Amino acid sequence: MSFVAAITGDDLWQTGFSGVAVGCKYALIALGFSIIFKATGVINFAQASLVLLGSYLTFNFAHTWELNFYLALLMAMAAGALIGVVIEALVLRHMVGEQPATVIMATIGILFVLDNLTTAVWGPDNHNLGDPWGIRTRDVFGVTVADRDLWTIAFTAAVLAGFFAFFRFSTLGLAMRAAALDPEAAMAQGIPARRVYRAAWAIAGLVAALAGATLAAGATQLSPATGSLALIAFPAIILGGLDSPLGAAIGGVIIGLVQQFTALLAPEYFDWVGESFERVSPYLVMIVILLIRPYGLFGTKEVRRA
Amino acid sequence: MSTSRTMALSYLDEVKLLRSPRRDPWRWAALVAAVVLYLWIPTYFGDPGLRIMAMCGIFAIGAIGLNLLTGYTGQISLGHAFFVGVGAYTAAYFGGERGWPLPAYLALATLIGFTVGAVIGPFALRLRGNYLVVVTLGLVFLGEHLWNNWDSVTGGGNGISLSQAPMTLGPLDFKEGIELGGEAYTFEQSFFWLTWALVAVTALLAVNLTRSRPGRAMQAIRDRDLSAEVIGVNLARYKVGAFAWSSAYAALAGSLYGLLQQYVSPGEFSLFLAINYVAMIIIGGLGTIVGSILGAVFVWGGRSVIEQNSSIGLFDRLITNGVGEPGWFTIGEANAILFGLAIVLFLLFEPRGLAALWFRVKTWFLTWPFSY
Amino acid sequence: MTVLAALALLVSACGGGRDDDDASDKADKGGNGGAPASGPGFDGKTIKLGVITPTSGRVAVIGEPLTNGNKAYWDYVNKELKGVGGKYKVELVIEDSAYDAPTAVQKYNQIKGDVVMFNQLLGTPIVNALLEQLTADNIVAQPASLDSFWVREQNLLPLGAPYQIQAINGIDWWVTEGGGSEQKKICTLRQDDPYGEAGQAGVDFALDKLGMTLADEATFPVGNPDFTAQITQLQGKGCELVWLTSTPTDTGSALAKAAELGFAPQWMGQSPTWIGAFVDSPLMPYLQKNFIWVSEGPEYGDTSAPGMKELLRIQDTYAPDQVPDIYYNFGYLESKAVHQVLEAAVKNGDLSREGIVEAMNSIDEIDFGDVFGTYGWGKPDDRDPPRANSIFKPNPDKPIGLELVVAEHEAPFAKDFEFSSD
Repeated sequence: MSFVAAITGDDLWQTGFSGVAVGCKYALIALGFSIIFKATGVINFAQASLVLLGSYLTFNFAHTWELNFYLALLMAMAAGALIGVVIEALVLRHMVGEQPATVIMATIGILFVLDNLTTAVWGPDNHNLGDPWGIRTRDVFGVTVADRDLWTIAFTAAVLAGFFAFFRFSTLGLAMRAAALDPEAAMAQGIPARRVYRAAWAIAGLVAALAGATLAAGATQLSPATGSLALIAFPAIILGGLDSPLGAAIGGVIIGLVQQFTALLAPEYFDWVGESFERVSPYLVMIVILLIRPYGLFGTKEVRRA
Repeated sequence: MSTSRTMALSYLDEVKLLRSPRRDPWRWAALVAAVVLYLWIPTYFGDPGLRIMAMCGIFAIGAIGLNLLTGYTGQISLGHAFFVGVGAYTAAYFGGERGWPLPAYLALATLIGFTVGAVIGPFALRLRGNYLVVVTLGLVFLGEHLWNNWDSVTGGGNGISLSQAPMTLGPLDFKEGIELGGEAYTFEQSFFWLTWALVAVTALLAVNLTRSRPGRAMQAIRDRDLSAEVIGVNLARYKVGAFAWSSAYAALAGSLYGLLQQYVSPGEFSLFLAINYVAMIIIGGLGTIVGSILGAVFVWGGRSVIEQNSSIGLFDRLITNGVGEPGWFTIGEANAILFGLAIVLFLLFEPRGLAALWFRVKTWFLTWPFSY
Repeated sequence: MTVLAALALLVSACGGGRDDDDASDKADKGGNGGAPASGPGFDGKTIKLGVITPTSGRVAVIGEPLTNGNKAYWDYVNKELKGVGGKYKVELVIEDSAYDAPTAVQKYNQIKGDVVMFNQLLGTPIVNALLEQLTADNIVAQPASLDSFWVREQNLLPLGAPYQIQAINGIDWWVTEGGGSEQKKICTLRQDDPYGEAGQAGVDFALDKLGMTLADEATFPVGNPDFTAQITQLQGKGCELVWLTSTPTDTGSALAKAAELGFAPQWMGQSPTWIGAFVDSPLMPYLQKNFIWVSEGPEYGDTSAPGMKELLRIQDTYAPDQVPDIYYNFGYLESKAVHQVLEAAVKNGDLSREGIVEAMNSIDEIDFGDVFGTYGWGKPDDRDPPRANSIFKPNPDKPIGLELVVAEHEAPFAKDFEFSSD
């Protein structure tokens, strides 16, 4: 059944903004994936569970311990970083040099463990995050903008800027780029690979906690399902190019826009395509982009020697 | 794999799987034992256990297919669940809705799987490594969308039942239970025999494939595809072929799965299933056929074993069924955690999988007393 | 070769030799009136009931309180009534389905030989997957969902007014008494799966009888990250009443977005849309102004309903840690229904598969002490689910956050809704 309706220009702007907002949530998750990939060449499936854990930790500090929300957020980020380091030290360190498929599988195993540990500790019930943003909105050029979404966008921009500064200006960042490019040569130059990997996982855990908090903020309740959104990050990082954090962020925003516009326009104009097509459209867009640029928008082309 | 007993006298000799009993006594003994086990197991075990083992067999077929693609040709794919779904829905539609005979819809499912795989294959020509992984992931979601919305064929969100699908092969009716030599067997027993017979057939096919020219081509592609191209291996043909064959296997596994469950619905062919398959071939051993079967048994059977025994002894104090009983984890959580831990620990100690473990054990025996 | 080793491992672990019972699963029929003969799930002393529910994963938030409800009721029966018929204690065999159909099917097959019937199966996809087997094995099960498809199934023991009836009564109430009228625009926001379709079917039926047409229908996938598109669609159509068929997490997301975008129609939600955690949510003020919940029975804690008094007492005694929860109540009522079937079966002296079915068909009605409507019972074709629903509105001071507005409203055409098996 299709209903003829007027999709106004306002609607389009509103949808555009929501696409950016949702996209930034994906971007934050994707950035976590991206940093680990950039440093270690591994796709970390456990990132989704780090996001979930991060959101529950924020809840715990903000709600159960009743600390100031921003303080709770910082603490959750620190805890996330710590957990990332622990995982790296316990498991990933021993898997350096193994086939990528094997390492991916190990991260999947960690995913199962962490996810269920989280629900075991906090229980399966829905909770309210306790953030100060609630459902407050403000009007920006005719578009209603939720405070929570503004903060998400701000966080994403901050993280991106942080990454940029880190990789450009800090020694550790430089070391990470070197180690990603060629681990052996890097080690020959005296770069401690271990420290690099640990730093990457710490940053990933930190960003994951931030992502988790933004996912569960507002009136969306925190539940074990919160982590399942992380799956969408995959097309985002591929779209943008696996080893480019900027690509990951932009990829996230693109995916968010695609999803939102599909949800708005498909029922009106393409309803033969079935319900909830917005779940599939990001992948289709990703496939199209990959056909044109097989390494993603910003990914570096792999140099292959026979 | 050569034995230390004899030398191969010619190329043909080398390639043969099973030489005469005098020269390959262990293999013949194993073969006989396998046949005996195959016949005996259903007569000894209860139906629930048989069902689990039949499911392992179904997963084994799918895993063999995935190993052909990932282990032998190096194309990592997270989309296997999609092809399994293709097979399952084909069987459900043609068998359940249209009432085609068993060999017909099984064959059709395999054929359709092959074709769909061949259509997807060309993507692999353009995309490499991780990029391919995520595109195949997209397949799973595309599949879910398709199963949910193509109501006329797939029944949409409600799924289709296979209870009307005929399951007879000549005089043998697998659904009611076959009757041989005066004995009536149950559905589970009959299905076990059917499934594992198919496992044997498909495994044999796969082993032959890998030991011959196409197999070598696939492995060359996996190791260094640029070089393979240089020496004349037709990348397009083998990459697409690998996808096609692995999808055919997956589709067969899917149709058997539908028959065992007697019902298929969209949610069953999810990322979780795809991850399970990848787990099976990695834990079993990439690039080995035997490993696929072992991995399937370990992952599915192992999970079932954990579930059945997690309430005993040590774990009892930790586990609650969520209802009033003291404990930290519910059974479901404990199972998932144990499973995850098992994967991680296994990979830490034997990253090359069960097949490699077995190989080490075997070599130890074979090189005795010089083993180290 | 290696496969043998693996199978050997499995062999030791799978355990359980084959009993002769496996091949022929028939129990002897007991004589009428005599003590029931032993059979699957019944050893002469204890009756075992199966429960297949998610105790892990995202649906555990429903599965846990449901099972708690089941258990509390049987604890009461075992302790105070000394069991079914005053003689036979009841034990629950609980297995985790992780809300995954193949796992559920496997667990079902694992325990079906050990139980008399199933006290709880949670999840429409899981019930669908098991329905064939239940029929083939002639085992009766209680589905923990309110789909109308269950009404005419011989092997299912549903309870409560189905989702379709909820929609019918809800829409009718709003149009006639709740501030609406036949001129207003009615729309739906629903999940894109069978549950959503059930709600839609009820709305369509009601609108047809009232001579109205649906102004808009918006769908969404479960776990939808952002409802902007759906809300702007509804807003653009000028919807004045929106019937919501969703689960709590999506309810929160959708209504939050509506609040943010300034869209404030009358929202009406089916029973699974609510959860007690909304009380502390920043969304509560909006909910108080704009949301109505449709379910059955009296307000929680209203002891004028005899069943409610009993429920509260049993909860206090046997499940003191349980906070007020609609799923706990549902689980409790499930067991109450099963109890009535078992009593009938014990009276007939037959707890075999056929005996349970016969007992079920012989009961005239299943009574819930007015906590849920009395279910007219009998053979599947004679079954008549309750046709009335109660209307609630959010109130943070009440337990579970809900306050009764109207009890047992029944639309005049509610009885015309026909149930057929799918």
